[in-house]
Amino acid sequence: MAVSTIFRSVKQAIWVGWKVETNWADPLVFSIYYVIRPLAGLLIVGFVFIIGSAVAGSFKPEYFAYMFIGNTFFIYVLQVTMTMSFLIHEDRSHYEVLKHIYLAPGSLRYYILGRALNGAMNASISLVLTIGLGVLIFQRLLGINIPIDWLSVNYPAVLLSLVIGTLCMISIGFVFSGINLLTSRIQFALPDYVSGIFYLLGGVVFPPEILPSWAQSISNALPVTYFLRAVRSSFLAQAYGSFSVDLLYLALTTVVTAFVGAVVFKAAEYKARRDGLIDRKEEY
Amino acid sequence: MIEDLVFNLKVAYARLWVRVKGGNREPHWILTEVTVPILTLSAYVYLYKMLNAPAEFAGFVVIGGTMIAFWSNVLWNMSAQFYWEKETGNLQMYLVAPISRMAILLGMAVGSIVNTALRAVAILAVGILIFQVPIFLRDPAVAVLIFVLTIVALYTLGMLFASLFLLYGREAWHTVSLLQEPVHFLSGFYFPVRYLPFLIQLVASAIPITFGLDGIRRVIISGETAIDVLPHVAALIIFILILMPLSKLALNFMENLGKKEGRLTLRWQ
Repeated sequence: MAVSTIFRSVKQAIWVGWKVETNWADPLVFSIYYVIRPLAGLLIVGFVFIIGSAVAGSFKPEYFAYMFIGNTFFIYVLQVTMTMSFLIHEDRSHYEVLKHIYLAPGSLRYYILGRALNGAMNASISLVLTIGLGVLIFQRLLGINIPIDWLSVNYPAVLLSLVIGTLCMISIGFVFSGINLLTSRIQFALPDYVSGIFYLLGGVVFPPEILPSWAQSISNALPVTYFLRAVRSSFLAQAYGSFSVDLLYLALTTVVTAFVGAVVFKAAEYKARRDGLIDRKEEY
Repeated sequence: MIEDLVFNLKVAYARLWVRVKGGNREPHWILTEVTVPILTLSAYVYLYKMLNAPAEFAGFVVIGGTMIAFWSNVLWNMSAQFYWEKETGNLQMYLVAPISRMAILLGMAVGSIVNTALRAVAILAVGILIFQVPIFLRDPAVAVLIFVLTIVALYTLGMLFASLFLLYGREAWHTVSLLQEPVHFLSGFYFPVRYLPFLIQLVASAIPITFGLDGIRRVIISGETAIDVLPHVAALIIFILILMPLSKLALNFMENLGKKEGRLTLRWQ
């Protein structure tokens, strides 16, 4: 397929995704919606941290910053995996357009890629707003010291980690999309499981070192662990690992995940076409 | 009068049966609804452990994580239910049938309570066992009373939301999403609400589960007695007395408006 056709498919899918996600509200309401959930999530963890520290009698700002960065960047995991898991079901059973997309020139996988990139774009909006409001609430209103020097953050390194991390999440999303081509019963459970496991074992709000050893082994195999380590290394003066090593591990786990995603999706697409599942509507 | 009552109780039972049967038809759903909350609450328990908080905080998290099952159920399976029914074509059947719409909501609510209670017991048991939560329950009857009042208040709120969400059309999904994490924060699902700033506590007092959760924790984890949680009981009763007639009013309003505008069964809007 010509590169221009691929590019056009992806671009149109991003546009469709943006319209579908935003057409129910004006931009202000949409922004509020996209910030309230992640901000409330950050407030929950922030207050757990503040209250837990208060009753224990010691507050460690460096761990607060650890939690702050981990929780805000976890938005990408939630947003991309949720978008990609619900997509097939929504387009097939709810909007009933999957068959048309499948038959149209271009390809279903580029359409899915575009929708995933739109999810990442929305996550970026949430991230910026959540960080801004999080700093305002915790640092300005509550007087919590967050030891992050925003001027000396290594932003190119953050961007590089984000690009690779997003590719990894999209690869996981392709596994979900493939599975959901074959069934209409687990699209809501898949992202919940993955985000739940990643949140607990990926070092999102606490270092994985406090987990039991068997759980640490799983943590060491998860790409999200390296994604968040790489991002933290770029933000925080206190080193939680080496940026280059974490980035290398992130790249390696992303390559493996991308391979698995491509194979699962290709096999699922073949089976779905063979068994006539592309336009099978189920009310689950 | 009695005939009507019996007839509508049968309607409620029929809706209850569908809810119980439908909610348990896929065993992996039950597994998911038990496992996922345990994963989330485990993260908060480990965070408290990292901070060296007292063991009772693990108990607060486990109780909060258990009650989230009910809140999520109220949002997705009560509040958004008429919206889903419209999307799948069942709503018009409810509306043309010679039955009380409140009976439908009652059946939906009781069925949801049965389904969610099964999952909540599993989450509670696993949470207590895994994290060795200290329990100081001195007055089980009070704990049961607060729990029952909380559930009734919550599901009455769900009955009210069911009509309101239908009026919002396609915003239902987003509205449900908006009522998750913000309410988890405001109502103190992962920490006692008394630690929040006063203004936030004031806002949180508009949500019935705030009182229910705090009362249940005080009785089960902190070993407090009936006298200590009397304000919680009173607040929950007031919530029920206000929400019950409001839900009936909202249902009538929704139905009349829908008939007038002719969009009650219009999908994708």
